[in-house]
Formats: sequence, structure tokens, C-alpha cells
Amino acid sequence: MPMNVVVLVKPVVDPKAAVRFRPDGTIDRSAAKLVVNPYDKHAVEAAVQLKERFGGRVVSVSMAPPHAADAIREVLAMGVDEAVLLSDPRLAGSDTLATSYALSAVIRRLEQRLGGVDLVLCGIETSDSNTGHIGPEVGEWLGIPSVSYVDRILEVGDGRVSVKRLIEGGYAVVRVKLPAVLSIAGTSYQPRIPSLRDVLAARRKQVAVWSADDAGIDPSLVGIAGSPTRVVRMWRVEIKRKGVVISEADPDRAVDRLLEELRKDGVPLGV
Amino acid sequence: MAGKLLVYVEVLEGTPAEHSLELLGKAKELATKAGLGVGAILVGHGVRRVAEEVVYRGAEEVHVVDDPRLATYSVLPYTDAAAEVIRNVGPEIVLFSATTTGRELAPRIAARLRTGITADCTDVDIGDWVDPATGRRYERVLYQLRPTFGGEIMAAIVTPWHRPQMATVRPGLFPVPPRDPSRTGRVVEWSAEIEESSLEAAEVIEVRRETRKVDLRSARIIVAGGRGCGAKGFELVRELAKALNAEVGASRAAVDAGLIPYDHQVGLTGQTVKPEVYIAVGISGAIQHVVGMKDSKVVIAVNRDPEAPIFRVADYGIVGDLFAVLPKLIERLGKRR
Ligand SMILES: Cc1cc2nc3c(=O)[nH]c(=O)nc-3n(C[C@H](O)[C@H](O)[C@H](O)COP(=O)(O)OP(=O)(O)OC[C@H]3O[C@@H](n4cnc5c(N)ncnc54)[C@H](O)[C@@H]3O)c2cc1C
Ligand SMILES: Nc1ncnc2c1ncn2[C@@H]1O[C@H](COP(=O)(O)O)[C@@H](O)[C@H]1O
Repeated sequence: MPMNVVVLVKPVVDPKAAVRFRPDGTIDRSAAKLVVNPYDKHAVEAAVQLKERFGGRVVSVSMAPPHAADAIREVLAMGVDEAVLLSDPRLAGSDTLATSYALSAVIRRLEQRLGGVDLVLCGIETSDSNTGHIGPEVGEWLGIPSVSYVDRILEVGDGRVSVKRLIEGGYAVVRVKLPAVLSIAGTSYQPRIPSLRDVLAARRKQVAVWSADDAGIDPSLVGIAGSPTRVVRMWRVEIKRKGVVISEADPDRAVDRLLEELRKDGVPLGV
Repeated sequence: MAGKLLVYVEVLEGTPAEHSLELLGKAKELATKAGLGVGAILVGHGVRRVAEEVVYRGAEEVHVVDDPRLATYSVLPYTDAAAEVIRNVGPEIVLFSATTTGRELAPRIAARLRTGITADCTDVDIGDWVDPATGRRYERVLYQLRPTFGGEIMAAIVTPWHRPQMATVRPGLFPVPPRDPSRTGRVVEWSAEIEESSLEAAEVIEVRRETRKVDLRSARIIVAGGRGCGAKGFELVRELAKALNAEVGASRAAVDAGLIPYDHQVGLTGQTVKPEVYIAVGISGAIQHVVGMKDSKVVIAVNRDPEAPIFRVADYGIVGDLFAVLPKLIERLGKRR
């Protein structure tokens, strides 16, 4: 049974780079290089594994500025067949409610084009906003089930999918009706590293840039106007850690140095 | 009364979850400050029984949806039930704990109610907010404070003109309010408005949920082991803990690998700890682990990967093989006794 899978991939400011502020206190994203949100690569890996097992198509959907196209090439190299980049100035300032609406509009269009979408996969959260809201909210806009914190897809068949979901102190096994939205945790699907051949092949694949109109988006539901939440202030968290890192090849010397530092700083280990 | 602040109370093994009660305590403080009434929502089967208990902990009214079809948690039927109650009660604010349940359920409800929601707040407050664009003043606005960019940045978020204002709040931050059986409150029972399609959408086949017996929150020193330790390394972790008179902690990967019971897990789906000293051994420092230990006074990390994120939240780190480093540490720290 071939499956059509949409995977939501967010291009984000490289989480390894320090966040930069503009003088007015907002975050400066313009200069920074965009990369694929690390969590989303696990979702891409899960999507590509499904394609390898069942056949079908994997389409990635991203909402980001036009220069995000370069970052998206990475998931094309991992095995995604085609990418849609929803890019429109009217989408700027969208919060999770507005973003999930916009993404769901794209998914609806893809449904028509592909003759159905069986699964929507997303990451558990983004490195820049860390909410994990998009999965359940997209599910709600589309009126289909959602499962968050999916560790592993166990079985697919009979129009249903069984998944193992992480919870406090263990897990739950849930069998949901397709189509469904699954947020994939970074625990079981280790993202593949594309080979040079994959990277070259990805160059021939398409990143289709869609405007809000292409997706049939109601402009009043996106951007600042469509976003109930407002960020009123952002500030840098001072990490008050000493950051003494000891890299001695000899463990005796390393431990000596550690104990010396602890003693000097009066850390209560009784040393 | 100017309106209501509701807390979604999770019920675990027939009792209100501790993290929900914590949140109720905080909610009461905010409600008092803003002149709001404080209430609770209970959804499930057999949950009517705990309504009084929730009153004893400070709720002035408890909205209950008790239905056999809600015996196990599943996001769609729970969304149907809770959203319907919220629609009818019309609260100013609804708070959830940022558990795996809260973080799945709350956004779904928010989307259904077409309102905003803020995830994983580390603090909440109520006050006025003036829109800088229009100069208009909004009252009883929920200030939702939360880390973003993986914890590097804090953000204050408001939902000025949509109701309810919704947020999930991290567990383990506030004290559990005292139990006062002399308190009285109103219990309102609702019939469950659940779509047939929501019940058919998902079937919960198995739930494996260990409860914890070990409380690490009062530990002074914790030595925690990760997947990098393996069974042999965990013996060293235990030995070091013994030498230091410390408790043993663990990452989720170590627990999932069966190296140690869940009782010892620190992090998002484990415990939140604040010891004087936290020693992380063979733990990479994934954000879900770090949220559970980042308020430790002093953090020491041992990891052979110099790039491991744990070093970014550590005061002292040794880059090296734990099988070489730990025996030395045990030897040196054991000797002084
Ligand atoms: C919904 C959800 C909830 C979660 N909840 C939690 C939670 O509550 N707590 C939690 O901890 N995690 C949680 N996680 C999992 C988290 O994302 C990480 O997968 C987990 O913390 C990794 O554990 P680890 O650091 O032990 O393992 P790994 O990431 O595998 O790291 C092992 C580390 O050991 C080091 N190492 C290996 N061998 C040696 C050696 N010989 N000497 C020295 N160092 C060595 C390696 O360099 C590596 O850094 C959750 C994930 C999800 C999706
Ligand atoms: N702008 C976006 N474009 C595409 N996917 C997104 C976008 N924002 C969020 N997602 C998806 O939703 C998941 C959860 O994101 P968040 O709720 O923002 O933490 C991410 O891991 C992505 O898979």
C-alpha cells in the first residue's frame, strides 16, 4: 500500500550560532544562515523509511523566507521527493495558530494534487520556538487525529497506524486512523547522512515556492493579524556556569585538577 | 467576580496529579491578585471522586466530565470534552501542566477555540498591558514567561484580545498548596459532548507507566548516569554516589535501556531536581534532560565528547572516558573517609 507522506520541515536560524538582537529588542534573523530544524530530520528519516517500505511520495512543506530554499535541499538529499516552500510577506509574524493554519492549507492543496495524503509527520519542536504546538494544531485545522512524542511507528495497515508514544514513566501504544499527524521524537529515527550522489540527485529535485494565494490561504488568518499571541519582550538568559573544561589525557591529572578547582571554589563535596 | 482562571487537573491513579496541584496553587495566587475566581477542570472516568480533594487544595469550583468513554486518555475525545466545558464556562485563562499530556492536549484545544497558547512557561503573572501600537489598555492579561532558542533566550508573551488565554506551565516549579478539608466549593458535572468520530479515531492499546518511589528533589548531591555508561559504567556511578553519600540519577536513555528504574530519571518526563551538586556521567545533555537539572547549584560533567551539550551547562567538565575517570574519582573521594 503506497503512502503519501507530508513532512513539515522548518528552516531555522542555525542553533549553533549565537542569537542576535536588533536595537529594538527583536531577534535579528536576517543575516543568519538557515538550516533545517534538527528535530525535523528525525521526522524526515521516518518518512523516507515509510517510502522505502511501502512506496509512495514524500513531500516536505516549509513556511519560511525565500532564501530558505538552500537549507531545504538537505532533506531532498535525504530522500524527500519534492519540497514546497510557502513564502509570502503576509505570513510574517505568524504565531503557532496562524502557522498551523497556513501549513494545513498547503496540505489540503497537496491532498488534491497527490490524490490523498496518508500521514503528516513533524518534529517534536523547533530549536527556535520549542513549542511542539504545530503538530496538534495542524491536526485540528485538518480535522484529523494527532499523536505527539512518537518514539516509533510500529505498524501500518488497514487504514491505521500504531505508534509508541513517550509519556512520563514509560510509553503508550496508540492505534490511530489515517490520515493522521505524528510528531516524531528524536529517539528512534537517526537521520541518514546523504551520500555525494544523493546530494547531486537532490539538485534535480524541485523546491516549489508557493505564495499564500497558491495555497488558498485567507490572509486575515495569518501574519500578525491572524496571531492571537504577541511577544512583548525577549532577553538573553545569563548562564551562570563557570565552564571550566578539563581536557587532560591522563585521568589522574584530570581528576587532580577537578578536585583542586572544587576545593578552590569551596564546592561542598568534602574535598 | 471579573472572570475565571481554570486549571486543567490531570488525574493519575485515582488522585489529582501533584504537578496539577502545584499549578492550582500558583493559579490561586494569580487569581487573588487579579480578582478572578479560581476553578479546575477534571476529565476522565471516575474523576468525580477527586473533585472534593481539588477543592481542599484551593479550587472554588470544579468542572467535571466523568464518562466511561474517557477511561484512558486520548487526545481527540479529551479535546471534545474539555473544549466544550471551556466554551460554556468562558474563563479568562486556562492553564495546563507542560506534561506529555498537557503539551499534546492544550494546543489542540486552543486551535479548536481559535485562541493563542504559549508552551512550557517557567512563570506566569497577571497584569495590565498597553498595546504600543494603539495605546489601548488591556486588563487581566496573562504574562507568559518562557525560554526559547533552546533556553538561550527568555520571552514574555501575551494573548491580549482572545479568550481564553492559554498556556502550559512546566511542572516542579511551585509548592503544592496545603490541603484544607474545611474548604468548600461548587462541583459542576457536565455531560461529555464527544463526537463518535473522535472515539473511533484512536485506540489506546497499551499504557506502561511506572510511578516513582524515589524522591530526588531533596537530594543534596546527585550522581547521574546516561546511556554512555552502560551496565558497567552504572556500577561506577553507584559507587561514586556511595562514596559521596549521594543519590543516583539517570537520563531517560539510560532508563529506557533498562540500566536503572524510572524512579531515578531526571528531566522533562522525569523529576526536576535542584541539588547542591549534580554530577552528569555519560550524559549528552539533551534539552529534555537539562530542563530537569539546570537549576542545580553546581554541575560537573564527565563525557568523552568535547562537543557534548552538557558542557555548556556545566561548571566543571572533564573530557574523558568515564571508565578511566570515575575509578580515580572514587579512589580520591573514597580515601578521605
Ligand atoms: C518527549 C520526550 C521526553 C523526554 N524526557 C526525557 C527525560 O525526562 N530525561 C532525559 O534524560 N531525557 C529525556 N528525553 C530523551 C532525550 O531527548 C535524550 O534522548 C536523552 O536525554 C539522552 O540520554 P543520554 O544523554 O544518556 O544518551 P546519549 O544522548 O546517547 O548520550 C550518551 C553520552 O555518553 C557519552 N559517552 C559514551 N561513552 C562514554 C564514555 N566511555 N565515557 C564518557 N562519556 C561517554 C557520549 O559522548 C554521549 O554524550 C526525552 C525525549 C522526548 C522526546
Ligand atoms: N514554519 C514551519 N514550516 C514547516 N514546519 C514547521 C514550521 N513551524 C513548525 N513546523 C513543524 O512543527 C514542528 C513543531 O514546531 P513548533 O511547534 O514550532 O515547536 C516542527 O518540528 C516542524 O516539523
